[in-house]
Amino acid sequence: MELKDFKNIIHRCFRCGYCKFTSSYSDFNCPSYKKYRFESYSTGGRMWLIFALMNNNLEWSNNLSNILYACTTCGNCVENCRFDKFNEFWVDIIESARKEAVKKGFCPEKQHFLIERVMDPKFKNPYGELNSDNMALREMYSLPKKAEWVYFIGCTSNYRQKSLRDATLRFLKKIGINFTLIDEYCCTSPLIRTGQIDQCHNFMSHNIEAIKKTGASKVLTSCAGCYRTLKNDFQKFGVDHDLEIYHVIDLINQLLDQNKIKFKSEFNKTVTYHDPCHIGRHMGIYEIPRKIIKQIPGLTFIEMERNKENAYCCGAGGGVKIGYPEWAQEISKERILEAKKTGAEVISSVCPFCKTNLEDANEKYDLGLEVIDLIEIIDQLEI
Amino acid sequence: MDEISKKLEEIVGKNFVSDKSEELYIYSIDPGASEPREVNFVILPKTVEEIQKIVSFANQEKIPITTMGGGLTLSGLTIPVKGGIVLDTKRMDKILEVNETSRYVVLEAGVSTGKIFSYIEQNYPHLQISIPDAPPSVTISGNTLIHGSGYLSQQYGNHGEMINGIELVLPTCQLCKLGSCSISKYWFSRGPIPDLIGMFISSFGTLGIITKLSIKLFPKQKERDLVFGLMKNPDVIPELINSITSENIVEDILLGKADKPDWMKGYVFVITYITGRSQNEINEKESILKKIYRKNGARYMNAPPKIKQIYLEKPQFAATAADFRKGGGFEYVGSFMPLEEIPEAIKLASEISYKYNIIPTLGCRVISQGHTIMFFASYSFNRADPDDIINARSALHETNKMVLSLGGIPWKSELKGQKLILDRIDPAFKNLFKTIKDQLDPNGIMNPGNWEV
Repeated sequence: MELKDFKNIIHRCFRCGYCKFTSSYSDFNCPSYKKYRFESYSTGGRMWLIFALMNNNLEWSNNLSNILYACTTCGNCVENCRFDKFNEFWVDIIESARKEAVKKGFCPEKQHFLIERVMDPKFKNPYGELNSDNMALREMYSLPKKAEWVYFIGCTSNYRQKSLRDATLRFLKKIGINFTLIDEYCCTSPLIRTGQIDQCHNFMSHNIEAIKKTGASKVLTSCAGCYRTLKNDFQKFGVDHDLEIYHVIDLINQLLDQNKIKFKSEFNKTVTYHDPCHIGRHMGIYEIPRKIIKQIPGLTFIEMERNKENAYCCGAGGGVKIGYPEWAQEISKERILEAKKTGAEVISSVCPFCKTNLEDANEKYDLGLEVIDLIEIIDQLEI
Repeated sequence: MDEISKKLEEIVGKNFVSDKSEELYIYSIDPGASEPREVNFVILPKTVEEIQKIVSFANQEKIPITTMGGGLTLSGLTIPVKGGIVLDTKRMDKILEVNETSRYVVLEAGVSTGKIFSYIEQNYPHLQISIPDAPPSVTISGNTLIHGSGYLSQQYGNHGEMINGIELVLPTCQLCKLGSCSISKYWFSRGPIPDLIGMFISSFGTLGIITKLSIKLFPKQKERDLVFGLMKNPDVIPELINSITSENIVEDILLGKADKPDWMKGYVFVITYITGRSQNEINEKESILKKIYRKNGARYMNAPPKIKQIYLEKPQFAATAADFRKGGGFEYVGSFMPLEEIPEAIKLASEISYKYNIIPTLGCRVISQGHTIMFFASYSFNRADPDDIINARSALHETNKMVLSLGGIPWKSELKGQKLILDRIDPAFKNLFKTIKDQLDPNGIMNPGNWEV
């Protein structure tokens, strides 16, 4: 949607500030406001600036662009805004304003770099890695050309979190489902989140076409960002498909419910769970990962103070990791310290991007927590 | 301007000063109906020393300073009248001390009501702090320093009365403590020494910048409930309120009139909040209140749990009024009124609402067992419609006049309301206030334009 499509909503933000908090008001939960502390960096502030922009009371500037991009789009504002007739739109409005920034030439340089890499025929991913057509993996795991399922690996797992990818591949082999891989392009999540949408349709179409060629009717991913994009954003961009989209935790949950798998060995550690924004607030999935974790023998599960709808973002989303790498790690540091406060030895999640940022902070600040994706824990179990 | 920015950056660091158009824009407006006014700098200090340096520099350069907490007075009190610096206190957000025995909390000035409310709930569940029905982002110091009120005000007075002590930076940069903290390590009392604290309440930042304050905590009962009542004739209100407060059994009393939904038209509702150690105690109090309602021209209304839940929430979501006209704006004339004038105030404010084509949304909170009534008339508007904002502004002004004509006093009044008050106030009061202001703030840098005497 374009900014003009929200013109009857934006001015309805009263700037009351509920969007800054957790639901109990215990702390500021908007990473952006917490960092900058100017009212302009709250969601309410952004809405008022966008409204001023639309009414020609303000002009585009680098500072305005920074205000719009210094937001992880984590959705805490959507969750805690009390105006439930229209609060669901806040993140969409920020993303639409970023589209305008791109059109007006105010996309920040670092975020713009994303699209340069993704558009490079050699890469097709935001990491600037040579595109893997996944044929080697297909061979390694003896995967067929045609299958019922496609595992959509996602760029972060394929190029930065290979252990997570490999754990998922091993799990899928273990449970014996009929799956394959495709020559995938970026799912476009980082492009949508940063307002650089021109090529999204083409990328989405490529991916859908490649999936269809395999004859698959179900797509599974281990990435929270890919999951949200495949499930929600493709339709918004007019790329309709009749595929069933699964996160790997959906599948695990289903198999556990049907008694088709059982965890037979133990994971003897205390674990806390970090809700990725793409799976939690954006998709409303909170209980499934917890239900799975609680069925792992030997594992002691403990919640962080801010959890589920009130979870604190890891700091990577919305283009913040590429645009503000230092700050992204500061946010993750806060999250890891919160995890450590529980007494947990492990912080687990279901998102390779969260894992990357949490690991980066863990290492940078020498925080001594283990960061392990849930599928990597399951990979260590007999099933 | 660049030189001033540089100097301010030297004081607080470059990340916490802005002279960029976006920050200046946001701080030049508030969610109420006031017109935007010029801001030149926004600064976010973290320490008392930084504030002293800012004030010293502002004195030297004769730059006005407007102090801001949550920025939600709605009446433009934190929008500078004469440009200059907006000093946003919200980085000063430490809870410094909770004294469980003498029941007070010492806070930095930027602590939000949400944060302290949540902190006390979590760590001292047997105690409570009175907070207003404002969003949790308002600061406790901002609210107490404008004579705010909250759900414990019926029992213990307005929030200004709950202040035990303050620390402030005077316009001359001097750091000053008032109350028992000026001579004792305990921030437990305002006296028995000359009570200068009152001077800084509702003076809208014209006499200094408050950096710390001590607020009273109160015991908290296990059970809390409410009893709804409805009345057709507002004339019964004074007797009803006196009968309820005479029993000394209620925590809070609210009155309201909202002509939407349609079935509410013409009715005034009363909500009394009761607390107790057990459900039996609650039931007993409820039964007494039902009888009082009946005897005084009101009738008990059994409210559905969903409605009860809305009114039992702390803080209540009063900002819902911002969407009544689908436009993100509302402002109200709050006022301190004598109880006997409430029926007339309700009648006249309803007429004003209809005159300006706004559905009446009026209410009262009983303060100090009825010694004062905080009466408000709220006017919603559409921020996207300039004429609608002007309409609300006119309604507000007329309501200010109405309040004064009935012997009440507009609360946290916007500039035009302040002028109406000053036009009527005892000239000797005005002279005394001017003498104090001139003495404390010889360069006139503290939120000038407000309380202009």
